[in-house]
Amino acid sequence: MIENRPWLTFASHATLLIGIALVALPVWMALVASTHPASAFGVGHIPLWFGDAGAETWGTVLFEKAGNGVDTPVWFMMLNSLIMALGITFGKIAISLLSAYAIVFFRFPFRNLCFWIIFMTLMLPVEVRIVPTYEVVANLDLLNSYTGLTLPLIASATATFLFRQCFLSVPGELVEAARMDGAGPWRFFFDILLPLSRTNIAALFVILFIYGWNQYLWPLLITTDDAYYTLVMSIKRMLSVTDGDIAWNQIMATTLLAMLPPVAVVIGMQKLFVKGLVDSEK
Amino acid sequence: MTDVILEKVGKTYPNGYHAIPSVDLSIEEGEFIVLVGPSGCGKSTLLRMVAGLESISTGELRIRGERMNDKEPAERDIAMVFQNYALYPHMTVYDNMAYGLKNRGMPKAQIAEKVSDVATMLGLTELLQRKPRQLSGGQRQRVAMGRAMVRDPKVFLFDEPLSNLDAKLRVQMRVEIRQLQRKLGTTTLYVTHDQVEAMTLADRLVVLNKGKAEQIGTPMDLYNKPATPFVAAFIGSPSMNLINANLTEQGVKISEALTLPLSHAFRGGIVWGIRPEHLEVSDEQNADFALRIQAVESLGAETLIHGKLETESGHGEPLVVRLSGPHLPDINSLMWLRAPVSHWHLFDANTQQRL
Ligand SMILES: Nc1ncnc2c1ncn2[C@@H]1O[C@H](COP(=O)(O)OP(=O)(O)O)[C@@H](O)[C@H]1O
Ligand SMILES: [Mg+2]
Repeated sequence: MIENRPWLTFASHATLLIGIALVALPVWMALVASTHPASAFGVGHIPLWFGDAGAETWGTVLFEKAGNGVDTPVWFMMLNSLIMALGITFGKIAISLLSAYAIVFFRFPFRNLCFWIIFMTLMLPVEVRIVPTYEVVANLDLLNSYTGLTLPLIASATATFLFRQCFLSVPGELVEAARMDGAGPWRFFFDILLPLSRTNIAALFVILFIYGWNQYLWPLLITTDDAYYTLVMSIKRMLSVTDGDIAWNQIMATTLLAMLPPVAVVIGMQKLFVKGLVDSEK
Repeated sequence: MTDVILEKVGKTYPNGYHAIPSVDLSIEEGEFIVLVGPSGCGKSTLLRMVAGLESISTGELRIRGERMNDKEPAERDIAMVFQNYALYPHMTVYDNMAYGLKNRGMPKAQIAEKVSDVATMLGLTELLQRKPRQLSGGQRQRVAMGRAMVRDPKVFLFDEPLSNLDAKLRVQMRVEIRQLQRKLGTTTLYVTHDQVEAMTLADRLVVLNKGKAEQIGTPMDLYNKPATPFVAAFIGSPSMNLINANLTEQGVKISEALTLPLSHAFRGGIVWGIRPEHLEVSDEQNADFALRIQAVESLGAETLIHGKLETESGHGEPLVVRLSGPHLPDINSLMWLRAPVSHWHLFDANTQQRL
C-alpha cells in the first residue's frame, strides 16, 4: 500500500504500539516476577519493576533444579525439548519431501490413492489417536526414549501437501532438461529439487519447530523418567505442587526460558520464512 | 553419412490420441532440418521422441546407425534447447552449462575449459557468475544454447526456441543460430510454427499436418513445387491464393463466366493456386480477370491488395495481390490482373496431390 496520509500513519503506528504492548506486557511481568522472591506474590500486588532475587532464581532454575517438584535443571529439559523438536522437524521434513517427491514425479499404480490416504491423516492428529499410538509405542518398548518422543509425531500430511504443491509448480521443461543432462532421480532431487524448495523448507522448519517444541500431551504421556522430561510439559507439572506454595518466580523464569528457542528460530529464519510463504524463484 | 533415421516412427499417447501415424525421415550429417506446421500438428511430439522424452510407439529411431528407441535421453548424445529455456534457476550460468558435464563425470579442469570456450563463442563470458533471473530474455536464450553446445552432442534439438523473444531479437538470434550451426557442423532438428523462421534456417523442411509429413524438401522446392494445397498455403507469406475450380477441355473453370485457358489431360475438381507475388497488373485487354479491391495494406517496400474476383453474381473468391513499391488504388475500384501460366499450381481436389 502506498498511501501518504499523516493521520493514517499515526493510526497504524498507534495500533502497532498497542499490539506490541499487549504482547510484551505479560513477558515483561514474567521477567520482573522472576527477579522477586517467591513470597512477593502472596502480598496481593504485582511488582512492575525488578527485584533483587534475580540472580539467585535464575541460577537455581537454570543449573540446579527448576523447582516446584521438578528436580532436573532447566538446561537439561531444554536439551530434551530441543532433541524432540529437532527430531520431529527434520523427520517431518525428510518424510514429507520424499513422499511428495514420489507422488509428484513418479508414475506408479494408485498414486492418487496414496496421496489421498496421506491427506486423510490430517484428520488424525496425535490427540485423536493417542490411545492406540500409546499402545503401539509401549509394545515397541519405546516409552521413555527419544525415538518414542519423536517418531509418532513425524508423519505429516500438511508438509507433504505443501511440498506437493511446491513440486507441482516446478516446470516440466526443467525436469526434462535435467533428464537430458543425465541427472537420475537422486541427482535431480538433491541438485535441482531441494535447492528450489529451499525457502519452503525454511518456512516449514519454523512452523514445525514451534509445533515440536510446544508438544505437551504426548511427552506427558510417554515419559515417566526425569531424564526425558521436556520443558513445556514440566511447566505444567510445576504448577501442580500439592502444598499450594507455588514458587512463581521459578515458574516465570522457566517459562521465559521455554520461549527463547522458538523466538530465536523465528528471528533467525525470518527472512527465509517470509520468502518461502510469499514468493518462489521458479 | 546419414546421421539420424526415423523409420515409420509413430506415436499414440496413453490416452489413445494418435498424434503421429508414421513419419519417415533421414537426416544427413550436419544438416539443418526444420519441422514446421501449425500448432498442435505434432512437431513437439516428434522432436520429443527423438529426444527420448516421449516413448516411440511404433517404428524405429537410429542415430549413427544405433537403435535409440529404448535409450535414456542422456544416453542418446543429443542436446535440447527448450522453448522456455528451462535454465536451472538456482544455478549460475556457469553451473547451468557445466551441470550435464559434471553428471558425466568429466574432470573439473576440462569442464572449465569447455564452458569458457563456449561462453566466449556466445559472448557469455561476463555473465558466467550470474543467475538466470538476472539475465534478459536474449541472454537466457544464449545460455540455453550454450548448455546444449558444451556437450558436443551429435544432434541439436530445438523446440520453438525463439518464440519468447521480441521480433527484432528473434531475427538476430535466428541468424546467429544458423551461423553457429554452420560453424559447428552439428546435425540439427528444429521445431517452429513460423514459416519465415523455417524458410530462412532450413537446409530441408518437413511440413507436418496432423502428424503427417506432407512434404520434405528444401525451402525452394517447397516454395516452387508445393506437393499439396496445405503446403502451398503454409509456405510463403502472404499465403498462396487457392481457389476451387474444375479442369475442363477449355481450361481451368473458376466460375461460370471465368475460364482460364489451359490444355491438361486431367479432368475434374482441382485446386488452382497462384502466389500473390506472381499476379501482375495489366490493362483490360490482356487481363485474365478483374479484382474488386476491398483493402490495401501499404508496407512501403510492398503493397498487399486484398479483394474479390469480380464476377457477375458478385460472390467472387477472395484474392491477395502483392505488388512491390507503394500503390494507392481506390477501395472498391477494379484492378485488372494477369496470372502467368508458368506460376500456376494445380492440385487434384480429391487426393490433394499436385498435378
Ligand atoms: N501427453 C499427451 N497426451 C495426449 N495428447 C497429447 C499429449 N501431448 C500432446 N498431445 C496432443 O498431441 C498433439 C500434438 O501435440 P504437439 O506435438 O505438442 O503439437 P505442436 O506441433 O504444437 O508442438 C496435440 O493435439 C496435443 O493435444
Ligand atoms: Mg510444440
